[in-house]
Amino acid sequence: MIFWRRKTHETELDEELRTHLSMAAQTRMERGVDPEEAERAARGEFGNVGLVKEATRDAWGGRWLGDLLDDTRYGLRMLGKNPGFTAVAMLTLALGIGSNTAVFSLIDALLLRSLAVPAPRELVHISFGPPGTKGPLSGPMFDRLRERQSAFTDLFAWKNGPMVLTEKDAARPITGAYATGSAFPTLKLKPRLGRLLNWQDDEPDASSNGIAAVISEAFWIEHFGGDPRVLGQPITVDGGTATIVGVMPRSFNGITVDYAPQVVLPFAFDVALRGKSSCRFRASCWFHAMGRLKPGLGFAQARANLSTIAGDVLKESLPSNYERVDYLRKGILSLTPGRTGNSPLGEVYGRELWTLQALVGLLMIICCANLASLELSRTLNRQHELVVRSALGAGRLRLVRQLVAESAILAFAGATAGIVLSQWMSALLVGYIEQSDFPVFLDLRPDTATLAATIALATLTVILTGALPALTLTRVHTEEMLRSGAQRTVARKRHPFAASLLPVQVALSLLLASLALLFAISTGKLLRMDPGFRVKGITLFGVDFERRPEKSEARLDLHRRMLEALRQAPGVEAASVIAARPLGDGGMDESAAPVEGNGPESRHLFENVVGPGYFQTAGTQVLAGREFSQFDRLGATPVCILNEAAASFFFPRQNALGKHVRSTEPNAARATCEVIAVVADAKYLSLREPAPPTIYYPYEQLPSFNWVGFITRSHDTSAAVAAFKNALSRLAPDTPLLPPITMQRQLEDSIGKERLTAALSLFFGGLALLLTSIGLYGLESQRVAQRTAEIGLRMALGAQGKDMLWFILREAGVVFAIGVPIGLALTFAASHFIGALLYEISPLDPRIHFVTVLILLGAGFLASFIPARRAMSVDPMVALRYE
Amino acid sequence: MPEKKERYQNRIELLQGTLDLLILQTLQWGPQHGYGISVAIRNRSGEILQVDTGSLYPALHRLEKQRWIKAEWKVSENKQRAKYYRLTAAGKKQLSRELSKWSQLSDAMAGVLNPDET
Repeated sequence: MIFWRRKTHETELDEELRTHLSMAAQTRMERGVDPEEAERAARGEFGNVGLVKEATRDAWGGRWLGDLLDDTRYGLRMLGKNPGFTAVAMLTLALGIGSNTAVFSLIDALLLRSLAVPAPRELVHISFGPPGTKGPLSGPMFDRLRERQSAFTDLFAWKNGPMVLTEKDAARPITGAYATGSAFPTLKLKPRLGRLLNWQDDEPDASSNGIAAVISEAFWIEHFGGDPRVLGQPITVDGGTATIVGVMPRSFNGITVDYAPQVVLPFAFDVALRGKSSCRFRASCWFHAMGRLKPGLGFAQARANLSTIAGDVLKESLPSNYERVDYLRKGILSLTPGRTGNSPLGEVYGRELWTLQALVGLLMIICCANLASLELSRTLNRQHELVVRSALGAGRLRLVRQLVAESAILAFAGATAGIVLSQWMSALLVGYIEQSDFPVFLDLRPDTATLAATIALATLTVILTGALPALTLTRVHTEEMLRSGAQRTVARKRHPFAASLLPVQVALSLLLASLALLFAISTGKLLRMDPGFRVKGITLFGVDFERRPEKSEARLDLHRRMLEALRQAPGVEAASVIAARPLGDGGMDESAAPVEGNGPESRHLFENVVGPGYFQTAGTQVLAGREFSQFDRLGATPVCILNEAAASFFFPRQNALGKHVRSTEPNAARATCEVIAVVADAKYLSLREPAPPTIYYPYEQLPSFNWVGFITRSHDTSAAVAAFKNALSRLAPDTPLLPPITMQRQLEDSIGKERLTAALSLFFGGLALLLTSIGLYGLESQRVAQRTAEIGLRMALGAQGKDMLWFILREAGVVFAIGVPIGLALTFAASHFIGALLYEISPLDPRIHFVTVLILLGAGFLASFIPARRAMSVDPMVALRYE
Repeated sequence: MPEKKERYQNRIELLQGTLDLLILQTLQWGPQHGYGISVAIRNRSGEILQVDTGSLYPALHRLEKQRWIKAEWKVSENKQRAKYYRLTAAGKKQLSRELSKWSQLSDAMAGVLNPDET
């Protein structure tokens, strides 16, 4: 049946059957039967007109399409008639699906998505490091491995790193990467434009000018306007010039999921720039290495092949002093699957993200339960309609389909709204993950996996909220119900399905709320703790003087002049120099031993290199002695400062001042130093761990040490930033300005995952509470409406308003009496998994659970009090008149 | 409701094919509307075959869809607009096919039921 002609067919069928009836009546009348009787007999003989029509329509074929349209149209009308329900249902679904999609898309992007290259499953990571770690490989290690291996079609090395792009004297930071010539052939990547790098591009004897570079599509469009004439153009990066030969496809953003290089250069470029000192040849410079398994070769075989050659590879490639470095001595070569590429962020956030995914999964269950309850109570009210429709000839399947169609419309609309919402939510999530000094690139466009997950969720919702209630409800006994007439009688039956869902919701809400509170308190403790330095007013500046002409003493002088300029600037209270930012990404290791006394031999320390006035600037208390001054230079007595932890370890129960410490690192630049001060413990790498024993050196006594940044204290961050920009442009023009970061932000960044977990679980916990309250409110309102007559009767018989209040509240009480213990049990079960994520709070802390139960009871009381008040104000006369 | 529906379905199954044959045969005598067909079948069968409207109209529309019959709106002898069905050329072929099939079937049935007479 052609769909659009259906309407004509419908009216024709109507007319055809009407004609039949009237002819049948007429024949009887001609036989002398009176008109009324004739018509009734004709109808009796004809049977159920609706059913005949249904059966005839079946013969048209293509019926499902028409029915689908009918169901949809009818469903839309029913939803439109009940805007309150529709709005709540849509919002519930959008929030549930949106949260799930947002968290899942992040997990997908960070942990699940394959690299956009052919046969990504053949890729493996090759790493070096002590067992259990997955560290990178050095250049020599990579070369020896590549010579000896036989399990891979080829190997490649890749190194991400910021670069500086110079154009018409303006310098700007870009994201870059170095790759061996084998990278693109091994990845089997096809270019978007031009060609990609190959082995010839990576020949070490190529001159820096003739070297090829490829750029990302995003960079091509943003920077070159997508002009195909970009091929053959020179590009000046990090002081060298290369020629653009191709554009990478849009789907490929390097091998690291959160870092998208705008320019990829062959290692030959770095070799041309730096010669023998290039990172490519140094045994202490590290790359990410990957390989592609030979077709048909299994992972286990590759591992076996690796283990046979690993010993020789390491022997030939490790630096001579490796025995003395723990990391190198214990290091082994290992393989891990490389389908998804490299994901440092995924490794850091993996556990938190899966925890959040579990939370939003629970939230989805609450959403579904809520919707099912809503749908069920709505359907209960529509029971009369269902009965009438079934009496008019609608089959049970048809009724179910109608109800399912309504849920499907809701689910579809909810999923659409959810996807829109999730885009916004994922952006928010990435904001939490993003570290200020490192741009996070994440491709969060919904891909097949995300969409499939969303569709699966929506389908599940349809089944849970539409089909199950529909199946239970359409099992109606038409005649019995038609006879009884009113829906009130029907609805008085307690529906076990609806009643059984609420305690589940209560239990899950309790779980979510407890977890939210735990994460929030734990993160609050981290944020409020005293890290041992000031947080307010401190700004940190990175600086890259690498390409300045000033070297050694001149470089030190440049630093001094920068410092002077900063200190003089208006609004800046104090300034100094610092190498390793507190709570930053990297720290420096040192091992040292005390010279005096017979204390411990040697121990591992954290090290920092700071300038004069650092402790005063950073607000770390000097407990004894003096801090570094401008006179602690090369040539003066070598000095150092210990924190309390280090001092009490090296010189227990003694005054450390004036004592000496000897560095035990291999080829240490300094021999011994005099301890001139003991300072308060300050957090170093992580807020969660206690401050480690730390040794501070004055940067002016380390001439070869040239990667320091600046630290300022000011009332107003913008004053400090302006002062720094000003000083930089005056003293070292054309040095790229790296984005400054406040200590506050640095601290927040360092507990990014804790904040992420806390913020999201609070949001989800609140949402769960709200949804459960809405569910409870809906159910109680329904019950009060259904029992108006009963309540009226009771009140007419002398029951007081407060009895009625109790009557309704008791019902909510039962829900909580079942739900709360289940929720507590669930929380205790979950505490096992989340203990490690918390800081200084036990997941079993009774105060937390007491508070959550109180909050939950409060919300529950509110939600059922409003309907209960309505029950109290039932007028017995009005109520009884209904019956 | 459920029992009623079951009975109705059973009857459709019983008449499937046979009803098509009866309709085609009836239309061989000229165009006729739905009511006319049901009356004709009843009369010719000596009031034995009562065609259920719930089977008749689906069958008519099915046959129309297969292009064995064609429908047109005409005014009846009682000056009433009615939908008349008439046999198409394809319908006539189908009728002869159905007829031969039916006679084969009834011969076979007869053979089985009264083995002595063959």
